[in-house]
Amino acid sequence: MKSLVALACAFALPGIALAADHGPVFSYATPVNSQRELSFDTGIFARNGSQGTQLSTGSSFGYGLTPHLTINAFLPATFGTGYLPESRIVSGSEWSAGASWRFFHSVTSVGKRIESTASLGVVVPGPQNDSGVLASLHRAPGGAGSLAAGLASRSQYFWVGGGYTRFPEASEDRRPDTLSWSGVYGYRPAKLRRGYNQWDYRGFAELTGEHTGSVLKSGTILPGSSTKSVWLGPSVLAIFKNVAISGGVQAPVFRDASDSIYGRERLRFAINFSYLKYSSLTSSH
Amino acid sequence: MTKMIAAAFFALLPLAAHAEYEQVNLTVFGMDCAPCAHAIHVSMKGIQGVNTVDVDLNTGLVTVKLFPGNSASMRQFNQAVEKNGFAHKDAEIIVRGKLAGTANAPVLEVSGTQDRYGLSPTTANLDIVSLLGKTVTVSGVLPQAPKGKVSDTLRYKTITEVR
Repeated sequence: MKSLVALACAFALPGIALAADHGPVFSYATPVNSQRELSFDTGIFARNGSQGTQLSTGSSFGYGLTPHLTINAFLPATFGTGYLPESRIVSGSEWSAGASWRFFHSVTSVGKRIESTASLGVVVPGPQNDSGVLASLHRAPGGAGSLAAGLASRSQYFWVGGGYTRFPEASEDRRPDTLSWSGVYGYRPAKLRRGYNQWDYRGFAELTGEHTGSVLKSGTILPGSSTKSVWLGPSVLAIFKNVAISGGVQAPVFRDASDSIYGRERLRFAINFSYLKYSSLTSSH
Repeated sequence: MTKMIAAAFFALLPLAAHAEYEQVNLTVFGMDCAPCAHAIHVSMKGIQGVNTVDVDLNTGLVTVKLFPGNSASMRQFNQAVEKNGFAHKDAEIIVRGKLAGTANAPVLEVSGTQDRYGLSPTTANLDIVSLLGKTVTVSGVLPQAPKGKVSDTLRYKTITEVR
């Protein structure tokens, strides 16, 4: 068991803040799987800009090794050409695998938790090429890490988090490093604080930000290729027992990126479906 | 020899059938949403002998009713909570078992499990001397124990002989 945990930590986790089980759509959050819980997420993520729309679909698998340690893998596929900057908030074409460790967990009262989760992982180029300025780059596997902390309760949710992804050079090319962060507030109205055998709804306001570094091409930094952006938008999560559907949309509130390189990104949206398979196993005595 | 074993088995059978948890009401902290409750429901239902499970998210109360003759242990109920990342607080239980020990230090042995509780009355003037050595039904509160542990003391409210 210890070697499994060590292996999982060594591989550790995707920096993508994708919708996972019962959290927000775009933002970093703390929930991890229960022990022996198998989770499956699949969704469609879109980025629309002045040079086109990039759609990606991705499936994520998670397994709870312990109540606080989950290993996961994410397999995406992309469609369309958006000529858009690197993003870790919305998935691209990279495969990733890693682990999330909820290292702080305080249950303070009925329905309330305060917790922090760290994630580490590897990000591996998938078989599909990117579009735009990123398309012609030689790609090397990178590493990603993230940290999230916050509160979950029957009425309100609040999480803040950040992540960093770094790619090494490959044949004098290097994909940009990405620093991303998020803050999310969620609310479940009193009328919707119902029994678990009814649909459970909650709404979120998600604020996310990304700073991508410069693109290195043939040993030369591409001028104006770094970006900064801040996004804001609502999302909704609906859950019935072990099935969840969530969707959200975001628009830029701040954007500092070269229009000639990336065009003007205008909208992001995502729809996600989750299935959670809980284990009934306990020890005999 | 085989007949002796069979005779012993059948002699002990009535005792085993009358020694078990009948109901466990656990207060669980940390459940905020429907999947949390569903996870607890699935885990509790996976314990052999569990009949029904009801989870109230707003009070955190998990009510488990069991079939007669079960051999579920308190450790299993706690584990069902802990494996999902939640914390269990005091548990109200109704349990049958053999009253052993002495008048000053009575002990409830839950046959079919390794559970054994020192009994402490919640109110004075509960005379249980006459019940020593008999099979009894006890209702009471198991105080919260650290993760992975079960309290060794049951604060009982009522204790009655099983006839």
